[in-house]
Amino acid sequence: MTLSRAYILCLCVLAALFTGAETFAQVTNATAVTVKATLDRDSIGLDEQAILQIVVAGTDQDLPAPQLPTLPRFEVYSQGRSSNIQIINNQMNVSMTYRYMLLPKQPGVFPITNISVVYKNKRYTAEPLELTVLDKGTAASPQLEDKSVDPTGKSRDYFLDAEIDNDNPYVNEQVTLTLKFYIAVQYYNTPELTQPPTTGFWTEILGNRAPYFQKLNGRNYQVLEVKYALFPTQTGELSIGRALIRTTVAAPSRTKRRSVFDDFFNRGQEITVRSKPLTVNVRPLPTKDRPDDFSGTIGRFQISATPDKTEVEVNQPVTVSVAITGIGNVKSVAEPEIGDLADFRVYRASSNENVTKVDDQIGGTKTFEEVFIPRRPGELTIPSLKFTFFNPRTSRYETKRTHPIKLNVVGSETYVAGSDVPYSTPGVSIGSQARDIRFIKQELGGLQHRGSLILLSPVYMAVNGIPVLVLIGLVVVRLRRERLSKDIGYARSRSASKVARKRLATAGSMASADKTEEFYAELSRAVTSYIADKLNMSPHGLTSDKIATLLAQRGADDDLVAETKELLRRCDFARFAPATISIDDIRSSLERGERLIVRMESVRFA
Amino acid sequence: MSEAATRREAFETANQLYQNRQYDSAIVLYEKILADSVESPALYFNLGNAYFKQGDLGHAVLNYLRARRLDPGDGDIEANLSFARGYTRVQMEGVRLNPISSIMESAVSGFRLSTLAWISALFFIGLFVLLSLRFGLGWRENWLRRTIVLVLVLLVVAAVFTTFKYRHDFLTRWAVLTCDQCPVYIGPSEDLDIELQGAPGLVVEIVDQSGEWYNVLFENKRRGWIRRDLVAEV
Repeated sequence: MTLSRAYILCLCVLAALFTGAETFAQVTNATAVTVKATLDRDSIGLDEQAILQIVVAGTDQDLPAPQLPTLPRFEVYSQGRSSNIQIINNQMNVSMTYRYMLLPKQPGVFPITNISVVYKNKRYTAEPLELTVLDKGTAASPQLEDKSVDPTGKSRDYFLDAEIDNDNPYVNEQVTLTLKFYIAVQYYNTPELTQPPTTGFWTEILGNRAPYFQKLNGRNYQVLEVKYALFPTQTGELSIGRALIRTTVAAPSRTKRRSVFDDFFNRGQEITVRSKPLTVNVRPLPTKDRPDDFSGTIGRFQISATPDKTEVEVNQPVTVSVAITGIGNVKSVAEPEIGDLADFRVYRASSNENVTKVDDQIGGTKTFEEVFIPRRPGELTIPSLKFTFFNPRTSRYETKRTHPIKLNVVGSETYVAGSDVPYSTPGVSIGSQARDIRFIKQELGGLQHRGSLILLSPVYMAVNGIPVLVLIGLVVVRLRRERLSKDIGYARSRSASKVARKRLATAGSMASADKTEEFYAELSRAVTSYIADKLNMSPHGLTSDKIATLLAQRGADDDLVAETKELLRRCDFARFAPATISIDDIRSSLERGERLIVRMESVRFA
Repeated sequence: MSEAATRREAFETANQLYQNRQYDSAIVLYEKILADSVESPALYFNLGNAYFKQGDLGHAVLNYLRARRLDPGDGDIEANLSFARGYTRVQMEGVRLNPISSIMESAVSGFRLSTLAWISALFFIGLFVLLSLRFGLGWRENWLRRTIVLVLVLLVVAAVFTTFKYRHDFLTRWAVLTCDQCPVYIGPSEDLDIELQGAPGLVVEIVDQSGEWYNVLFENKRRGWIRRDLVAEV
């Protein structure tokens, strides 16, 4: 008993320690905050500006804002902030980016130090920076100053400048094209840029820089800048055509003196500005010392290989992620060659690429997932993989290698030496289920028209509507039946017409000369009892006068009242003097009786 | 050849291309079948797979979602959808869903709208048959009264679930980010500050639109404006 208690206690203590350690790990993780400050340029002219970017990163959503040191030599304006949150492997990474514009007040070399944040009573400081402010105008090149004046020596209001950083690249090496639109007058709409034609290049846009100001020949220009990365795909002379910019600028005022109305009424003038075409002379890659496995990638790369596990059973897959990272066109990176291995069967599962643009350079990572399936148990080694590229900086071919990966392969129950059990069945993709998507479906299944909605289909509506109608019908029938059984007046009124017709039919069968008396008695009863039924009265004592009064009270027209009275009077007369009645009289009386009943149907007796 | 047979043949050809790892061509063929305004879960599922193999996470997630709407009970679709969504570079932090709607969502997620609609219809018909017995034919038994109440309650529950499913799947405008760079701004203009950086494969709800911009609500309830061409409606 005591032993088992001690055992439970031990377990509890261990559990507490374990949870505590984990919490501690989370706390230490949570307190990691980094501050990084960067400038978009190291040196600027006195008329220019620099953008100071501060990134505060950590694992907490409530990161503090950075404290800027006093910068007496600059005017500082905030340019806003942005946030980025990522969760990778359950770890949240938050980064807040703050941008400031620095406008220098005097030339010189100025350190920017002490950018810091205070987080949980601890101060985190960014690496110091240095910004060189050159004397007035020195930042602009003499050629640029030339471009800002036209051949007559007059200062231009606007011009479009195109320049490339390298006019003699290797094939597939990045050339950065910078387009700058200088404008010194007011413009009314966002300038619309048409990209220059770049036949023979693979083009990727690098992005826009925030508009800035630059002084040329004493005039202040706003500069809109956009950059492209161009990768020549063939050798020889290639040309980059003219870029076009369209916008509307303030039309020059007709009068010398400007008034406030000028800006208000000035509709502006549409302008189109073109840049000068440029020529690039593309060099072929040297054929000397070209390795056999070179596949055409240019740049500077690193290669690494990471297995998802190092302990594995025979015939079970190990996925190795081979990542090739660097500067250059990652899309052109080819899969490293593995060749036939005696100890493994090899499959390629997938590849993906992540293109980045850092410091105007296209780069990134291409990752290949290779699946290795060991054929036998033991200490097996996946040999090093190599990747060859051409480095344009050194003008040489370089080969990078991964480290060999050692695997400890254990036998499995199903493993039989020498057998080669296929790991995957046809139609099932390579890689364990958790490592890859499930395979496509072979059956198309029933196609339906897009947007067809069950709730609006006629079948669905009918199925739901029919029981409602059935219920309504049944309830109506039942209510009628109940009233008929309970309300005698209602029942008599409902059946009046039927009874009258029956009586008329009986009378009709007596319509011959020898039954005159009976005929008229029946005809009189038909009319009298019709009215009695309709009014729920006894037919006895209903004289023709009384019937006429009752009909008149119920709104029957005079003609109908008179005719009814006349018919009943005729019936009485015929019954007491039958000899004077001809067969024609009988027929006409029957017809009149029938007509009367039809006409009385429209009288409202209720 | 009949239209159906032509489509089946195109589907099989596309599958063959997929197996030969010619994902581009497979995508073109699958999309061609869809261009005839017809759809099927398998078609969207395979198209999603082809996009995934090509590394286009946004369109992969988009097509898995479309497949799931047609056949929510399919395990393959669910598995690939969650696998693809696991690859989304940026995951949303602090997901705080309305507890009631999340319970409702998980309750109806395995059913098709048509299934729920037919269940509701069944209770509806049942209720009216019972009402017809009670009020049409005048049966007054106790068990009948109790059954009517029970079926009525079941009908209300089924109708609530059906309405929720209809709202969730057909009235709410879901969209998927299909862009590599997905800046989400605080207002409908690129001149404004960036609220957050989205990533391909993230699922959003379109709550408003203005010109070429959508106001989108992320799963963690953060909002922002994104250009229309950077998202695709499910």
